[in-house]
Amino acid sequence: MRKFIVALTLMLLAASPLAAQQINLDFPGLADRAEEVVDVTLDATMLRLAAKFLGKEGDEREIRDMINGLSGIYVRSYSFAKDGEYDRAQIERFRSQLGSTWKALVTVRSKTKDNVSIMADMRGERINGLVIIATEPREFTIVNIVGNIDIERLSRLEGEFGIPKISKDGRND
Amino acid sequence: MTAIVPEALQFPTAFARAQSGDHDAFAELVGKHEAMVYSLAWNFFGDRSKAEEIAQDVFLQLYRHLESIESDSHLLFWLRQVTTRRCIDQLRRARFKIVSLEHAEDVAASPRVADPLLDRRLKAMVQELPELQRAVVTLRYQEDLDPSEICGIVGMPVNTVKSHLHRALQALRRKLEKHP
Amino acid sequence: MSLEEDLRRALRRESPAPGFAARVLERIERDGEPATQVRQHSGRTWRAVAASLTLTALLGGWAFTVHQRREGERAREQVLLAMRIAGEKVRYAQQEVRTIGSTD
Repeated sequence: MRKFIVALTLMLLAASPLAAQQINLDFPGLADRAEEVVDVTLDATMLRLAAKFLGKEGDEREIRDMINGLSGIYVRSYSFAKDGEYDRAQIERFRSQLGSTWKALVTVRSKTKDNVSIMADMRGERINGLVIIATEPREFTIVNIVGNIDIERLSRLEGEFGIPKISKDGRND
Repeated sequence: MTAIVPEALQFPTAFARAQSGDHDAFAELVGKHEAMVYSLAWNFFGDRSKAEEIAQDVFLQLYRHLESIESDSHLLFWLRQVTTRRCIDQLRRARFKIVSLEHAEDVAASPRVADPLLDRRLKAMVQELPELQRAVVTLRYQEDLDPSEICGIVGMPVNTVKSHLHRALQALRRKLEKHP
Repeated sequence: MSLEEDLRRALRRESPAPGFAARVLERIERDGEPATQVRQHSGRTWRAVAASLTLTALLGGWAFTVHQRREGERAREQVLLAMRIAGEKVRYAQQEVRTIGSTD
């Protein structure tokens, strides 16, 4: 009986990996139809590099602390010229990737404004990842943060940063 | 061996002196560009105190990032870009706040007026445009920039800029036709 | 007169209220010196500073290569953009929850 219980426990542990789930963020064909695209792909290496270039005060310092220990940040955001240019089934296919450890924290449904779902990969009390799905008739945005992120700290960021530095010829490098 | 001296070092402009910590030189820079920065925000929001606040924020940000500016032309580009993006950011954040009915009524009650007040009407109409169209129109007609210059400032492909400009002008024409 | 000419006139530049530069300097003094900027102390002219920086560059003494710096700056911009977008959506959701809660 004890051997059976040990074996069962090992099977359960193997079935719920401690490593973060890999989520596919490909949306074939959408970038070509979109008027505006935001595509951010930052793995752990790039996040460590970015941290070296973040400022030492204010929101940049806060962000530097927040990304410490994260394994990745991914954003896909598409804006379209007209309603109905993207297939909501693609969003549902994306959502269906999220396994049983993912819990919905907040869901906002509106006919006139953004619909937003915030889901967290819960391992006990700890958040191991975050997915934010925001949809409007002409835009959808998916944010995937891999690792332990403090949602409350995220909501307190003021959003006036992010002004990119530019090269001498005026292009963003 | 001849040393290669970067452009900024050849001319002791206000910009170069400001970079070395000269506050008077920085004030000179502010004076040179304040109308441009202030007007971008003023034409975007139609609110003088908000425009002043944004303009001050932009120059404060400039002061903190002066060492990353490489030339006078880079400075001009940086100021336009930072101001425009701050305006867009602020408008997007304000979108989620509840708009008071009083304010909504003021916007709706733009007077149907004859030519002498056309400038004010046009400004008000521009301020009703979605944020990206508003930014593109302001950069085009306040700063006289063409789409290839605007695209770097707002971070969009040039065709997208042209598309926003086209739709904005269409929207403004329709409004003018509706309320002659 | 065409719409474009009307727009150029309507959106022409205007100056802020007099004393704007002084108000900016007051804010700078109030908010303190920038933390990230390397300030040269008195006694060293800007030419000497610039010349030493140029020499260091020529000798390849930078802590990051140009490529690494470019990559790092780009990564910083992307992090800031991502966090801004994420923060905005979270705040929106929180605001909606509060609004709904206050009307219940």
